[in-house]
Amino acid sequence: MSLPDATGPVPRLRWQVAAWLWLACCVVVGVHQWTFWRASHFGTDVMALLPQDEQSPEVGRATRQLADQATRQVVVMVGAPDWASAKKAAAAWEQAAMSSGGDNTWVTARAPFQRSAMAGDAALRDTLAFYAPYRDRLLTPAQRAQLERAPPAALLQSALAALAQPGGGFRLADWNADPLALWPQWWLARASETRARPRDGQLALSDGGLEWVVLLEETPGSAFTMSGDTPIAHALAKGRVAAIAAVPGARVLAGGVPLHAEYAASRAHLETNTIGWGSIAGVLVLAWLAFRSLWPRLLMAVSLLVGVAMALSATSWVFGEVHLLTTVFGASLVGCAEDYGLYYFASRQGAPGVAPLRMMSTLLPGLALALLTSVLGYFALGLPPFPGLRQMALFSVVGIAGAFMTTVVWFPWIDRGSPGRTRFSDWIRASFARYPRFGATRRTWIVHAALAVACGAGLVALRVNDDLRQLQGSPPALVDAQREVGRLLGVASPAQFFVVRGTSADDVLQREEALKTRLDARVTNGELAGYRALSDWVPSQSRQAADAALTKRVEDGVIAGVNQVLGETPQRARFDAPALTLAAWLASPAATAGRALWIGAVPRADDGTAFASVVMLRGVRDLAALPDIARSADGLAGVRWVDQVQSVSALLGRYRHTMSLLLLAGHAAVLGVLAWRYGRRAWRAWMPTALATVGTLALLAAFGQPLQLFNVLALALLLGIGVDYGIFLLERENADAGAAWLSVVLGAASTWLSFGLLALSSTPALHAFGLTLSFGILIVWLVTPLYRPATVSLQKAP
Amino acid sequence: MKIVRRFAVAAAVLCGAPTWSAPASDVTLVRERVKIAAVLKGEFEQTKTLKGFRNPLVSRGEFLVARGQGVWWHTQQPFETTLVVTQTRLFTRNADGSASDLVDAQAEPGARQVNELVFALLAADLDALAAKFTLVAQPVGAAGWTLVLTPRDANLAKFLVRATLSGERDVQTVRIEEARGDATLIRFSHQVPAAALAADEAARFR
Repeated sequence: MSLPDATGPVPRLRWQVAAWLWLACCVVVGVHQWTFWRASHFGTDVMALLPQDEQSPEVGRATRQLADQATRQVVVMVGAPDWASAKKAAAAWEQAAMSSGGDNTWVTARAPFQRSAMAGDAALRDTLAFYAPYRDRLLTPAQRAQLERAPPAALLQSALAALAQPGGGFRLADWNADPLALWPQWWLARASETRARPRDGQLALSDGGLEWVVLLEETPGSAFTMSGDTPIAHALAKGRVAAIAAVPGARVLAGGVPLHAEYAASRAHLETNTIGWGSIAGVLVLAWLAFRSLWPRLLMAVSLLVGVAMALSATSWVFGEVHLLTTVFGASLVGCAEDYGLYYFASRQGAPGVAPLRMMSTLLPGLALALLTSVLGYFALGLPPFPGLRQMALFSVVGIAGAFMTTVVWFPWIDRGSPGRTRFSDWIRASFARYPRFGATRRTWIVHAALAVACGAGLVALRVNDDLRQLQGSPPALVDAQREVGRLLGVASPAQFFVVRGTSADDVLQREEALKTRLDARVTNGELAGYRALSDWVPSQSRQAADAALTKRVEDGVIAGVNQVLGETPQRARFDAPALTLAAWLASPAATAGRALWIGAVPRADDGTAFASVVMLRGVRDLAALPDIARSADGLAGVRWVDQVQSVSALLGRYRHTMSLLLLAGHAAVLGVLAWRYGRRAWRAWMPTALATVGTLALLAAFGQPLQLFNVLALALLLGIGVDYGIFLLERENADAGAAWLSVVLGAASTWLSFGLLALSSTPALHAFGLTLSFGILIVWLVTPLYRPATVSLQKAP
Repeated sequence: MKIVRRFAVAAAVLCGAPTWSAPASDVTLVRERVKIAAVLKGEFEQTKTLKGFRNPLVSRGEFLVARGQGVWWHTQQPFETTLVVTQTRLFTRNADGSASDLVDAQAEPGARQVNELVFALLAADLDALAAKFTLVAQPVGAAGWTLVLTPRDANLAKFLVRATLSGERDVQTVRIEEARGDATLIRFSHQVPAAALAADEAARFR
């Protein structure tokens, strides 16, 4: 039996003070926790994980605005071969889905959906009334071209034919205010922003032999809780069943951000539970096998509890909320945080005669070093400006530090029993002596050469893929339905758009009009179905003046002609309203349709531009043609193409690159810290992790997994965790190496268990993270003892 | 020409509540007296009263209504112009026989609804009309009837106050009163029912 190598008096008093201070800390956190759980501050927005485009604030604003607009909207489409059946199925859907929230009597009686305000009749009437005085200055491009080119005689003929048609023709203005019926056509162009049209009091469209009813619903805000409920999916399922019961063969499609958000939240909830409880169970079983006692596992549970509570409090203090994915990631903390407790109890088990406090003070340098390297790893995780990653980094650093502090300052006081030895722990201790070791032999060099070749081949085969779309975690059925809804409605995609900047609001509108002239050519040749632009709703002042002059000239002529043919006397209505301004429009109810397109004031750029708007594309025929469409912006002042998918992918790639460099720097830093304590033996603690890093990359290549940012982040974490094992073995090489090995085996097994479970996550980023760490931890675990110094193998394990 | 597009816009406002039946006796009365043929042709005289015009605008011509095919509306006086409404198209036939300014019903689904409404009005198709209007019928003499149609939907009511149909075996007059104060009266005469379209008539819809 070996004795602890530390000598000298133990600073008892300081330890006591630290324990009390820590208790005070825990009380404060406990109070905060009480309020935290009462008002659950869990975030579910997956986009919050992604970085903002830091180079152009207007792009970030545009993205947020377009996303905000969509965060609560759910579009449901009910299709049937004929209109009557479609209406019947839609009515059945609505009845079932809308009442779905009501059967949970313990919930505030609140349906998961409320009717979208955009579909209202009153809104349409107000919008028509708002625009009426400006009729003469609003033309579609086709109307403008026709009025400019058509001979006056043809225009007169057309006006006369309109007068002869059966019935009144559903005019939107008096005949003398719109003799060529230009106004209804302008409205049609505005309505064509989606393919849906009002029909019998509902929105409808026909496509591919099916008649569709389009239902616009809204969820009443963020109804997500930690309960993992899926009220929207539940309501949709009930509605679908009812619709199909009413009309067999009816089709029901649903799309919208809330569906994906709810799915992600419920998955995250499920995974937090599975992974968290799974790794807790694993840790408990291992602790039981090793110590056959309640104490160690109870104390480790306390240290974990304190760590997680502090992590939650700190994260909500700093970020205002805790993202659900952070808690999923945090669940894996369980695997790391108990390493300290295991190391302590394994050492105590090996030397029951040594007093707890003395044992702890002996272990402290190694524990602190292990904490330091782990914190370095987590810290690197928080370096890229991904809000989500920073949260996870803070959560982990605080959590692991909390567990560490609890272990160090409390365990010696609370731990009164001396853990008995078990057959399991004895077997592991004994196995250390038999474990092979790399000596300075020829065989060692041959093995390393073979490893180098294998890893080299793997690294060569490793593919890099930064595409954001591979991080999409929604199930295919949801994604397909979403795509189908988008295609049927022909709505604009929020992922690609033009940002138009100008020196004033009117300048922005003028520049939009220059861009639209180019886009019109692409609409004509079918590349695009259309676009959405603010200047469709509010043309620039100069465009309004030109169109007002054009309609006055043409309509005066037409009215004079009609009067001559029919011997009549009507006069053209007076249009004396001042030009429509963006400010007036934004303040009116008419702005509902396009407000999200206006970004507004942005920081003044060098070219003097200080306002910006968004022009979106509708119905892009071929996504591969997007780069070509993007060239429409070439040479136009203030117009810039934004492809969110592509730019976020590029950002992910940039951070992957940066993080790879930081990882190398991290390895150097850790090696430096190790050298400071262990001198020339430092490489023995570092080498296993370095080997695991390279080996993991090779394994990822072998499994066909592309390298992306999240793999590199996992490798940064591996550095922090893996080096711990080397430290423990080096620390105890002259004392109780078997105890150190026991704590490494237990620690690695439980860490591996928790990250192995993370690899099962259906969130692709977490899956990549978990898979990388499971490979890495396994390699470190198996390889670390191979690099132990010769002295250790000579030491007889107790 | 623009007129066809007005039909498309009309579609955007033609909204009705769920089907509701007028008092059975009323509708039954008209149903018993009117005879809906698959094909109906004849002559019309339309009198439009428009705000700002001193005199009513009177036009005359011939028409053809074919169930499932569409409406052919040929104005001969005071000027020559032809409008054709079919399931999928809306177009004007020029003097030289060419078609122009068509609106594709696939691109603009409202067109089909307008076609259905126009056909229903001219042919007194009660089932189709009852979906969009409240119907009140009254007998006139032994064989005659009038039918007053009031829009059910607020959006349609913004354009149309009411439509009044009268007739015996066929619809004889259609009176349309618009919310803006304009009004149209169409008188039909020389109606000839037929079981099917002749070949040259069918060509008018292509």
